[in-house]
Amino acid sequence: MENMKVLVVDDEGDFIELFVKRLKKRQIDIIGVESGYRALDILKKEKIDVVLLDVKMPGMDGIDTLREIKTKYPLIEVIMITGHGSVESGLQGMIHGAYDYVLKPFDLEVLLNKLKKAFERKRLKEKA
Amino acid sequence: MIINVILSLISANLLIFIIFLSKKIQKIKNEKCVLDQQLVQSQKLAAIGQLSSGIAHEINNPLAIINQEAEISLHLLDSTNLKFEEQNKELKDSLSQIKIQIKRCREITHRLLSFARKNDPIIQQTDVNALIEDMALLVEKEAKLKSIVLIRKYSPELPLINTDPPLLRQVILNLLNNAMQAIEKEGEIFITTSFNPSKIEISIKDTGSGISKRNLDKIFDPFFTTKPPGKGTGLGLSICIAIINKLGGNINVESKEGQGSNFIINLPIFYTF
Ligand SMILES: Nc1ncnc2c1ncn2[C@@H]1O[C@H](COP(=O)(O)OP(=O)(O)OP(=O)(O)O)[C@@H](O)[C@H]1O
Ligand SMILES: [Mg+2]
Repeated sequence: MENMKVLVVDDEGDFIELFVKRLKKRQIDIIGVESGYRALDILKKEKIDVVLLDVKMPGMDGIDTLREIKTKYPLIEVIMITGHGSVESGLQGMIHGAYDYVLKPFDLEVLLNKLKKAFERKRLKEKA
Repeated sequence: MIINVILSLISANLLIFIIFLSKKIQKIKNEKCVLDQQLVQSQKLAAIGQLSSGIAHEINNPLAIINQEAEISLHLLDSTNLKFEEQNKELKDSLSQIKIQIKRCREITHRLLSFARKNDPIIQQTDVNALIEDMALLVEKEAKLKSIVLIRKYSPELPLINTDPPLLRQVILNLLNNAMQAIEKEGEIFITTSFNPSKIEISIKDTGSGISKRNLDKIFDPFFTTKPPGKGTGLGLSICIAIINKLGGNINVESKEGQGSNFIINLPIFYTF
């Protein structure tokens, strides 16, 4: 987990605020934004390792954002967050290169483990 | 006398031995047959993969431009005056439709690219039970709406394996999706894991429509589908088999029309690429 930088994208401001606080408490370097556009802005400036991305957002939705991220920054790993779980969007996400899915509400330990695995994969890709 | 007994004993044993041998040969022949089929399958996939990734690349660029133009037009419409409200709305609807259809095309090109992708798998230690459970949870809500019950039988001692997790997730999700589509309404999907010293086995078994003998040979062919146009591209299973082969495993199917299907995946525990 050392030196991992995380970006969380979700249109629910309250969720972001709480989530960022909880992860900072775990010593994780994390930024939160409320839209896909903002996320792409951040990625231009910051070196992010793993993105946590809400599937359902107004405007540019999660899948659109995922596709943009994966085209521009193929090394970054993306974990999709979904509230209701749908087969269709699940398949779409995996096809467009998502690393994993988490269902809301989630257990923090489970999520941390997924982040760790996603980060490990990014490291492995960088070495290859 | 004794010699006769001994001789007949020997010949009886010889007979048993010959029967044993011929059974063994038959088994090897069968295995060779399966391997031959798998070889043909993977060669077919490789050829189609090459061709289609070329096409997909070529089509992706114009698609991106069409999409951009549609978006610009939508923005322009937003900023023009509202005198022709009705026409405006119609134009917007039709532009939105264009965007939806582009999305569909892009989905197909991405799928094509995904099984032609040259990228080597990235191997990580993986808890396959947990990985499958995540995908089961993802489909469960929709399954419930259709009165489909997921029945899990995960082996509690299943060892961690070396594999590429997102690729395996894609396979599991595709198989669960197919199973649900085959059931339509009311039925069960049994998800089972087990292992032996060198490999693990994942079985996804449904009580759905089953597959006719005629179709059984074709289901892994790219673009083979029995679903109505627009519903299935027929790429799901060909992607699955391409992925599983890449991960050093194989997929077998047991199915009878009207009696459900069982898709069985074997994966090595210690995979070195
Ligand atoms: N579990 C199953 N039960 C019955 N038939 C199946 C099952 N899985 C696959 N099939 C048959 O195999 C065909 C090919 O499956 P495949 O997943 O490759 O494509 P598809 O499901 O038709 O479309 P797509 O996956 O691209 O949406 C299906 O159309 C169906 O006829
Ligand atoms: Mg399918």
